Amino acid sequence: MVVATSRNIEPEIRGAALPAQVGERAPSLIGLLPGTRAGHDDGLEPSDSPTVVALFGGGEASFAGDREREAIRAELRALGAVLLALSPDLLWVFRPDDEWQRLEPAPCPPDGGPPALFGQFGIAPEGAGGPGLLGLFVVDAGGTVRFAHRVGPVERITLRTAVEAARRAMSLPLCGRTGASRREFLLASLLTGFALAVAEACTPPPPVRDAGSLPQDQLDLTLEINGQRHGLRVEPRVSLLDALREDLGLTGTKKGCDHGQCGACTVLIDGRRVLSCLTLAAMADGAKITTIEGLGSDEALHPMQAAFIAEDALQCGYCTPGQIMSAVGLVAEGHAKDDDDIRELMSGNICRCGAYPNIVTAIRRAQKDMHGAGPASPGAKGPA
Amino acid sequence: MTAPFSYVRVTDDADAALDTATPGSQLLAGGTTLLDLMRLGVMSPTRLLDINRLASSSAAPWGRVEETEKGLSIGALVRNSDLAYHPVVRSRFPVLSQALLSGASPQLRNMATTAGNLMQRTRCAYFRDVGVAACNKRNPGSGCAAWDGFARQHAILGGSRDCIAVHPSDMCVAMVALDAVVHVRGHYGAAGEGITEREIPIADFHLLPGSTPARETTIGPGELITRVTLPATPFAARSAYVKARDRASYAFALASAGVALHVDGGKIRAARVALGGVATKPWRSREAEQVLEGHPPTDDLFERAAATALATAQPRPSNRFKVPLAKATVVRALTRAREVA
Amino acid sequence: MSRGYTSQGVDRIDARSKVTGKAVYSAEVAVANVAHAVIVGSTVARARIKQIDARAAQRAPGVLAVLTHENAPRLPGAGKPDKGDRIDRVLQLLQDDRVLYDDQPVAVVVADTLDRARFAARLVAVSYDQLEPPVVTFDQGSSSYAPERAIRESTDSSHGDAARARASAPAAIDGTYTIPAENHNPMEMHATIAVWHASDALTLYDSTQGIFTARKKIAHVFGLNPRNVRVLSLYVGGGFGCKGATWSHVALAALAARSVGRAVKLSLMRQQMFSLVGHRPRIIQRVQLSAGKDGKLASVEHDVVSHTSRFDEFVEPCALTARHLYTCQNVRTSHRLVRLDIPTPTFMRAPGESSGSFALESAMDELSYAVGMDPLALRLVNYAERDQHADKPYSSKSLRACYEQGAAAFGWSRRPRAVRAMKDGDGWLGWGMATATYPAGQSAASAWASLRADGTALVRAGSQDIGTGTYTIMTQIAADALGLPLASVRFELGDTSFPETPVSGGSRTAASVGSAVKQAGWQVRQALLALAVADAASPLHGLSTEDVDVADGMLASKAQPSRRDSVVAVMARAKRAELVARADAKEAESRKPYSLHSFGAQFAEVRVDEALGSVRVRRLVGAFAAGTILNAKTARSQFMGGMVWGIGMALHEHTVRDARTGRVVTRDLADYHVPVNADTPDIQVIMVPESDPHVNEVGAKGIGEIGITGMAGAIANAVYHATGKRIRDLPITPDKLLEVPA
Repeated sequence: MVVATSRNIEPEIRGAALPAQVGERAPSLIGLLPGTRAGHDDGLEPSDSPTVVALFGGGEASFAGDREREAIRAELRALGAVLLALSPDLLWVFRPDDEWQRLEPAPCPPDGGPPALFGQFGIAPEGAGGPGLLGLFVVDAGGTVRFAHRVGPVERITLRTAVEAARRAMSLPLCGRTGASRREFLLASLLTGFALAVAEACTPPPPVRDAGSLPQDQLDLTLEINGQRHGLRVEPRVSLLDALREDLGLTGTKKGCDHGQCGACTVLIDGRRVLSCLTLAAMADGAKITTIEGLGSDEALHPMQAAFIAEDALQCGYCTPGQIMSAVGLVAEGHAKDDDDIRELMSGNICRCGAYPNIVTAIRRAQKDMHGAGPASPGAKGPA
Repeated sequence: MTAPFSYVRVTDDADAALDTATPGSQLLAGGTTLLDLMRLGVMSPTRLLDINRLASSSAAPWGRVEETEKGLSIGALVRNSDLAYHPVVRSRFPVLSQALLSGASPQLRNMATTAGNLMQRTRCAYFRDVGVAACNKRNPGSGCAAWDGFARQHAILGGSRDCIAVHPSDMCVAMVALDAVVHVRGHYGAAGEGITEREIPIADFHLLPGSTPARETTIGPGELITRVTLPATPFAARSAYVKARDRASYAFALASAGVALHVDGGKIRAARVALGGVATKPWRSREAEQVLEGHPPTDDLFERAAATALATAQPRPSNRFKVPLAKATVVRALTRAREVA
Repeated sequence: MSRGYTSQGVDRIDARSKVTGKAVYSAEVAVANVAHAVIVGSTVARARIKQIDARAAQRAPGVLAVLTHENAPRLPGAGKPDKGDRIDRVLQLLQDDRVLYDDQPVAVVVADTLDRARFAARLVAVSYDQLEPPVVTFDQGSSSYAPERAIRESTDSSHGDAARARASAPAAIDGTYTIPAENHNPMEMHATIAVWHASDALTLYDSTQGIFTARKKIAHVFGLNPRNVRVLSLYVGGGFGCKGATWSHVALAALAARSVGRAVKLSLMRQQMFSLVGHRPRIIQRVQLSAGKDGKLASVEHDVVSHTSRFDEFVEPCALTARHLYTCQNVRTSHRLVRLDIPTPTFMRAPGESSGSFALESAMDELSYAVGMDPLALRLVNYAERDQHADKPYSSKSLRACYEQGAAAFGWSRRPRAVRAMKDGDGWLGWGMATATYPAGQSAASAWASLRADGTALVRAGSQDIGTGTYTIMTQIAADALGLPLASVRFELGDTSFPETPVSGGSRTAASVGSAVKQAGWQVRQALLALAVADAASPLHGLSTEDVDVADGMLASKAQPSRRDSVVAVMARAKRAELVARADAKEAESRKPYSLHSFGAQFAEVRVDEALGSVRVRRLVGAFAAGTILNAKTARSQFMGGMVWGIGMALHEHTVRDARTGRVVTRDLADYHVPVNADTPDIQVIMVPESDPHVNEVGAKGIGEIGITGMAGAIANAVYHATGKRIRDLPITPDKLLEVPA
């Protein structure tokens, strides 16, 4: 059994007087978590969920920008938890699938203001030099502390990192002795840069690996996607599609069949339209990949995207990224002279909602914008 | 359901690709057949050799189409779409361009290679479903589920009691009509003599299933297709490909025909007739060609040639319609070829 | 009310997120550390599991658990469905060793990556004891039974004496029409991410047409308080009926998550879409029509036989349309079911109406030749002014205008009467038509609206947008009701913490949720007006609230428009942070005296290449009257999408099961054909204006499904007109044209 320690953890182990230890009853959060939210009926209430309690020295909670917020959402969803962030003056409630809610000023819990709550968690708010994270706790739906970390004086840690560490600690294998709902947690070492060493109160026997299975070497790949380079370590069998969706968080490219029969996964590789489901991530190493996320920008949509909106060339939207990428590829190929050509050359993209006629109109319209002068074709004929 | 494998990228040394002699090795080019079947669990190589980078090799024309005095040389790694739109192919071998453009989808054509297209495997639904035990191709000796099953898409020519799976390629039908030659590299001499090439006429490249449907081509481990050549056939410009299928596009052939006609002095001097979608391998019908040669190209003659092409057809109950359909595609293709100026 | 955003062709509000790839579908919701589950399906039907050996799977890299009937926990509610709930299905949740149908879930493998889970699934070795050979097909002679109901209606009906009338009628036809089993195949496969919060509380990110249906079902299966199950579905990649019921995979995802103590994502593979999420059953319909020489129907008989599973019941109610669509005193219908060793069918776009109309409209076409009348003229001669079956007037029926406008746009008057009259090179052209109709339903629904001090509004209803345009039309309705600019209103759906609404099926979301949204918005408006007229500082002070209009954020006196005030100013002076209202809309009382349907006319031109047996649709015109059109742009897409489905039904779609094993043979999108772009011509949609004050308070009739009704009939009729070959067995594929003697 390996126990990782750091300076800031040991005092906790020795300091038995500190409140809100793992396994103990947490301070009451009743009244802090708003009940019925705006426009909500019944449904999972905050008291049904674990709560991540983050205590800050002051000012805004230290996460900035959409990426951090999205990463925190993903962690909270994994925990099934609500985030309660407190500073001496302010209280935020963050549910991953709701808007960020800010309640100001903080309501007073039954036994005093936020400073009292800090004390109940064993944190001295005036001790921090600035608006950083002072402590992170996870309280389960029954009110028991499952994870506790008080940030040391020289530690600087973002909320996102702390929530991720909490989630990792909560995901450890269960110890069978005391039953499925009781866990004994290791104490995680949280260092900036996120090196996590894990100890287990009990270690299950290592699983027997099938001697016949071949080693699946992990490949270190560099994928250039939408002009950005991404390092990726995956098994060779991982498709580019799965790498995009599962490993890189680029879910704009869709999986409709996984066998090259629908076109929903169409991306551009070196400017050519291809199917990412039948491309290994390894095959795309070193190539320039363009996905739907790389088309246009927040300020200006690509002409094909704008045309799809204007012509209502979509309904459920699931085939749409593939349609658009395929259409951009089609225009680059330069073989579509009239509507019948567009229909034929877009037949590799299935649309079950049946938006085809509008897709053709959108492409014809965008073709003009993209080339300056496309083929003028009212194209009222159907296929021969 | 893809089984684990190790991945090797071949960059310059083509001969590294010959290392398919190691058991469980498979070449990876476009991946459109291989990765599809691997995900179904039908094929489980333990080692993939990615040869795509060879296409940019200057040492050999893997990725190039070149005119030679003898005809056209098509690199093994030329993408189907590039081949289809190549100006020489469009003007001098239109049946090949039409065949390629009738197949798959633009995306798949951008990925698939010449050699991959030659090597593609059947679309038989029973073959592709590892939940079906009886498939002699996948599991020799287990039986043929299609024989008494849903055989609507299956072969009426070249089948056996052990297998009636159709070869699905359109490109191969055109190539068979054009007398293509497949160039293959391997260790052909006595041991230690090094690596040479051999030429295989395409008609001999694909095998009939017979009692060994698991063997589909005449090449095996340790061999590598380098290119395909088309002999210069002036009358190949007067050619056409017709494909009958269940929907307007993105569907395999129920029946197809690739033909070429040499007409001079009001008579057919030479003809090529090949069928697709109906046979266990790309099907050249010299019998139909013999009916055509020496006669004026009339509709009646075309009907007779078509009937001859299908004379030995042995349909199953669920694919009887393929007989008249295949005849009709032959007639239609000959009619189109006749119309080419 | 004001000029209205409704009826304008407003761009789809969610279009931008969809074209940029930002729309997040269920499998794409970011959940850290999610594990992947894969269902292992049986390879036999009508069997018992003899042995499952999961050892190799358990040992495979990354595998966290393998669930089978041997180790899966007993689920309290895994048994019989709620018989009162038409949508509820009997699920297969690893509770016993019985294998009822091929590809039934027999194990679930959970691993840390998708590839590892899928590969390990292959390693689960299952052996079976085959019981009797499975029976997976039926014909007219098969033993059948009468279900209790045909969805909401009676199984059989009889008015007058059809058989006697037929016996003495000058003209009669007797046709048997078959439609094979079909699968919905939306582009997005079903997917669920399950996260447990506590031992009895759960969140599901689920691709569904019914978040409340899913909540109720999962709560029932696991014995949970529904309040503790939250279901979220913000974007759904198509449903068409297969995401209406909650299927086994949803519960299996939750089961897997509970077993491994971690969030689990389960996405079905495309192959599994053919057996795990319902299908349209195979249907054999016999239609007998008889008429006088003037074409007036003397009798209508429509007998339907379809299949269901051995363990659950679904009826495709094909003959309901025949009961009312054409005037006739002698109408008899019946529905029977045959039990087979297949999974349970379910609602698939216009269940009954699309399939039944193929038979009825083909039969009417056959009758038109028998009496020597133009097919459209025959419809007109039998036009029903009143619903003879329900014995009620129609709330509105603009079908004559649909026939007229559709025919004019199509050029129907130029149609040659004879078959094989329009040669086109190697092919023949043919023109066919049919009547389209779909019931206009409404269910109870609730919505909540909040007007903020800054003049923006948030409106919420727990509904779904499956590509239908719900986000957009609700925003429009809310903006109109509240009197705000469209851009100031945000409408949210897809969360069971929002007010409850019905499943998005049966073309009733616009009517149901629209009414609730309108009412909620209206209540807020009334509260705002009350504030304004009571406010001494407002130019509107002292007016009656009826005399004040609100539009685009401004209140104004109707009589004197110069007396104006802004929403923001009223709220500010009243020191109100928000005005809130919740509406629980019931089915409108005004509906009760009427029979409520939308109607349409479909016209198709096909080109048939007889030698190659190919049918290609060259032109389509659909003219529809469906009450108030809430958004011309999205409505056109809905009608058009339904018409494309009709092409698929007529020419392409067919799920084939191997008769020996019961296993689906056409188990991917290469073998199961849906129309591709090249199959689809330009489609002209005519939206005939119609105002119906009875149907519901938004005046809309629901348009998601009417587009497919009649279309397969119109195409089959066009094929007949082109070739003289009557194909009564769908899909019309080359083999069928080649096997009929010319």
